[in-house]
Amino acid sequence: MSHCELASKPLLQCIRKTYAIGLPTLQQSTRSFRLTAGRRDEAQGQAESTKEPFYRSPDPVLVTSPKLEKRLLKSGISPIGSRRRRAALQNSQNIPFEQLPYQCFQEARKVLLADRKEKLKEIERQRERIAKLRETPAEEAGGERPKQSRLKTFENDLERLKILADVNDPLVKKRFEDGQGDMNKPIYRYLWDKKWREYRRLILVQRITQMKVLPDVLPHCDPVVDVKLYFGGKNIQPGQFVDSRVSVTPPKLTIQPFQRGEKLVTIAVIDSDVPNVDANGFDYKCHFLAINVPISPTNIRVDLSKLSDDSQVILPWLPPVSLKGSPYHRLSLFIMEQRNPQLLEFASVKENEVNRENLLLRDIKSKYNLKPIGAHLFRNKWDDGTTEIMDQIGFQGADVELRRKRVEPLPYKRRNPASFR
Amino acid sequence: MRPAALPICMETLRKAAVAMVTTSAVAVTSLRSFSMTSALAKRSAKGKGPDRRITLIRYFLHHPLTPRPLRFSRNRYLRHWTIHRAWNLYQAQLRQARHLELQRQFQAMQAACEELRTGAGDGGRLFRISMSKQGVFTDMFPIEYARLQTEGPSKDGWNYDWRRV
Repeated sequence: MSHCELASKPLLQCIRKTYAIGLPTLQQSTRSFRLTAGRRDEAQGQAESTKEPFYRSPDPVLVTSPKLEKRLLKSGISPIGSRRRRAALQNSQNIPFEQLPYQCFQEARKVLLADRKEKLKEIERQRERIAKLRETPAEEAGGERPKQSRLKTFENDLERLKILADVNDPLVKKRFEDGQGDMNKPIYRYLWDKKWREYRRLILVQRITQMKVLPDVLPHCDPVVDVKLYFGGKNIQPGQFVDSRVSVTPPKLTIQPFQRGEKLVTIAVIDSDVPNVDANGFDYKCHFLAINVPISPTNIRVDLSKLSDDSQVILPWLPPVSLKGSPYHRLSLFIMEQRNPQLLEFASVKENEVNRENLLLRDIKSKYNLKPIGAHLFRNKWDDGTTEIMDQIGFQGADVELRRKRVEPLPYKRRNPASFR
Repeated sequence: MRPAALPICMETLRKAAVAMVTTSAVAVTSLRSFSMTSALAKRSAKGKGPDRRITLIRYFLHHPLTPRPLRFSRNRYLRHWTIHRAWNLYQAQLRQARHLELQRQFQAMQAACEELRTGAGDGGRLFRISMSKQGVFTDMFPIEYARLQTEGPSKDGWNYDWRRV
């Protein structure tokens, strides 16, 4: 018996006694649900059924002795929680969370459950109303457009009710916090959206507006999908500098939409800071362009290197490099929803968009009827690996170093001319 | 914030500020004879300390009498949250019920007025009289209405005729 086991034993015994004496009704209820066998009994029962003692196959939730822990760790399973917690769990009656015997908590649950029942009834009613309105012909409902707008209102109400029915459930909250939420259900989508809008979206919008991506690349964008960008398995914050050796391989994305249903999106990566020495200005360059990428709330992973070359990728990934002495390059990634429900025609798009240089995202957006729904941004500047990468991709003019033009100072002018006196 | 601690703190702060200003003024006067900077501009640029609100927040956060923040285990926090949500929901339901009751009363009154206007058979005369606002703010309401009407004390006051039998 380990040290903490010894320490927690009297306390647990005391708690067990109070359960047994003080809460007979509750114990009955838990019994009817499941025998109030301790965790240990259960483990023993399992062990008996498999004919293996505990030390042969220790449970990572219950193991407390350092020897067994070490053995578990060697076999690649790490014990769960602290040793104190595991020791406490060994003797605990395994009461499920919603049956914990706290009076106020139980009363609160009653209130919440009653409300949920009410909400479910309302959902039923709303569904019936929608079905009824669908069946009525447009003439009776006052025309096609009022009918559609009423339908839209009803459906919004329905979505709101679905969220309200589940938003007070502590287990839903727990599952969401553990990242086990099912994105097919509206409540988890709602919670994620809320969390995203509280912090990460604010950061993203701040970065893309402060670094002037928004008026430079696209006039306007209201991000509604959560985009994460990974280079080599590492998450990149919006606006982070990425080493050019890291950004040789195309990134992976997770694109999390919060609306139900599948969408087709176009993904574009645009560099808006290619120096143009002749014009003393900057040009655009497209580093990646793919169309017809399907995303849905559960299908969120997009690997830019694994998109199919003959139906999706228009311009394959070009590693970003910047010349020595040039200011940093902003590489902005835009997720644009294709408004037409059918696929864009790959062959014709491929024929039209062959030139990476000076490819304007505004033009593409209006040409193919796209709507920007998500954005991300990373930056690139000259670093130690850049020349190597330039050699790899056959970059023209790799040996050029840019300098700022020296601004000649104005000729000296005597302050205090006659007119001042 | 504890009300007892607040005035003391303000007082000490103000004293400190006054002391600072006076000392700086003394120090500056000796140097000022050749300086062209206006005294006010200099003081306003230099004398701005840290934000006073932040000082106060720090004061109260780190005061030994400030209770520690709630620290709960996961399950206990979830239970706490459940109770909190249920309480909020209950309050919202009460609010909603009260609102509906008020609405119902208002509509009942409206219906009664409508009935008076159309159903009394006098061409709406009673209704017009009842809706007349004439003299509402000129011939004020009876003075008794200024007081909550109660059973006692009686109107007559003392009963002088009372005798022990």
